[in-house]
Amino acid sequence: MTAAVPGYECTIDELMVVAFSRALLPDTRAFNGAVSFIPACAFMLARGTHAPNLVWSAGSIGIDAAPEEIPESTLSDGIWQGATMLANSPFDFWAHAQGGRYNTFSFRGAQIDRHGNVNNTVIGAYDAPKVRLAGGGGMADLSVMIPRIMLWSTTHTPRTFVRQVDFRSGFGYGDGGDDRENRGMRGGPVVCITNLCVFGFDPRTKHMKINSLHPGVSFEAVSSATGFDLAIPSSPLPNTPCPTSTELRLLREVIDPHGARRREFS
Amino acid sequence: MNSAPMAMVREIIRQGKKDLTMVALVAGLPIDWLAAAGSIKRVITGLVSLEGFGLAQHFRRGVQDRKIVIEEYSEHLLICRLQAQAHGLPFVPTRAGLGTDVLKLHRDTKTVREEVDQSTGEHYVACTRLPIEIALVHCHEADHAGNARVNPKLIWMDNELVNAASSTVLSTEAIVETSAFRAEPWRTTYPRFMTSTVVHAPFGALPTSMFPSYSHNSRFYERYVAASSESKSFQTFFEKYVVGPESWEEFLEINDLTKAGPTTGFESKNK
Repeated sequence: MTAAVPGYECTIDELMVVAFSRALLPDTRAFNGAVSFIPACAFMLARGTHAPNLVWSAGSIGIDAAPEEIPESTLSDGIWQGATMLANSPFDFWAHAQGGRYNTFSFRGAQIDRHGNVNNTVIGAYDAPKVRLAGGGGMADLSVMIPRIMLWSTTHTPRTFVRQVDFRSGFGYGDGGDDRENRGMRGGPVVCITNLCVFGFDPRTKHMKINSLHPGVSFEAVSSATGFDLAIPSSPLPNTPCPTSTELRLLREVIDPHGARRREFS
Repeated sequence: MNSAPMAMVREIIRQGKKDLTMVALVAGLPIDWLAAAGSIKRVITGLVSLEGFGLAQHFRRGVQDRKIVIEEYSEHLLICRLQAQAHGLPFVPTRAGLGTDVLKLHRDTKTVREEVDQSTGEHYVACTRLPIEIALVHCHEADHAGNARVNPKLIWMDNELVNAASSTVLSTEAIVETSAFRAEPWRTTYPRFMTSTVVHAPFGALPTSMFPSYSHNSRFYERYVAASSESKSFQTFFEKYVVGPESWEEFLEINDLTKAGPTTGFESKNK
């Protein structure tokens, strides 16, 4: 079971899905990658609430999919159910991605740094890794091609949130400041939703900053769970808003009745 | 997890092939089987994982123990390298990988390298040719001449591999007459001159999926992942359930894979 959110009638996985959903703009055209239960739920939730025209390509293949349930793999063919088109990967999906037809990409990794760069390749030195991870897959590609990047993590600890990633598998704001822009890449990370808070990015330094704290979580708690310095807020930080009963009903009863989203918590 | 040529991968292991270099854009179970069998020395890839089921433990240990060399790219860098090879071009450009550490891994060989377009000043990555000796792909139907099709259409990067390869060995769910291709030529995926050998292997992609005929088999993945965490007993599991069975039919039987049915939610539409 995932933890209850104090004072809210929901659990942490539900709060994260709802926060993710609300961060999606009405013109979102998105797809999902591996182990992306929270984004997949959020895309469907946003489509059922404030963003009816949102485009979601399930597993990057099933365009406008509406699966009756989210299968155990967010890249398996079961998630394509209800799609209006099954895209061919090299010619449809990659052309749409590089050609700017998609505008939103969400990814996570074993390490995320203060500028939103992500590592899913190795922990430690590349040639003598402590842990060899799966590899970036399409992360190195899509983080460069897609302007609106949404990060998330269900393990907010100093091991995940590091000052600098051991390997840059996915590009966020690089070294911060104008680094991304100077490389000719549009946009950059807009949010990072964790099990403790919602991060945004400082518009000038491109350094992660807290947008809102989940109920029951203090600034100090986030700070000590984060491996880089966070600016001390000048005024009290708001709480991550409470999900509405409609959002919770859709998520629990229609979108993800079997709780696939909880697979990201173990 | 999708349409991997598992029957052929198993046979490679059974024949005791060693020191193979495998190219697998986004890989999982087949590479982990080959790693577990000690068949590979080099993997050219963008990712190896069992997705929602966890890390590919034999691949991971192989790389950590330096028994397997990984030549690492990303999905689109590899697609572009294969397309350069297929078209006989010096390179194919992409924006993939700019700014990431993936490019730094290839500074010496320059197989992928950042360049600047002379007229627009845009940065791009030049992806050089990646020659493939033999492509292994699985399809739904093929004739004896090697014409083949994937139903209802090709989703994945198999065609990139076939077009970049000197020869292609094809396994197929069913063998059909050439007249079946002449009747609906718009459905053909590979023409006979692109394929060298046809292997009849019903359910030949299991335990991975072959959309829309069957889904991946979760139970096998779960058993495999559980067995992978016990390095002592793993070899017994691997021998009994993967390498040992004398035929593909026996492999399917012992792993209870013979009842594979259509992908959930697509049953009625794909008859």
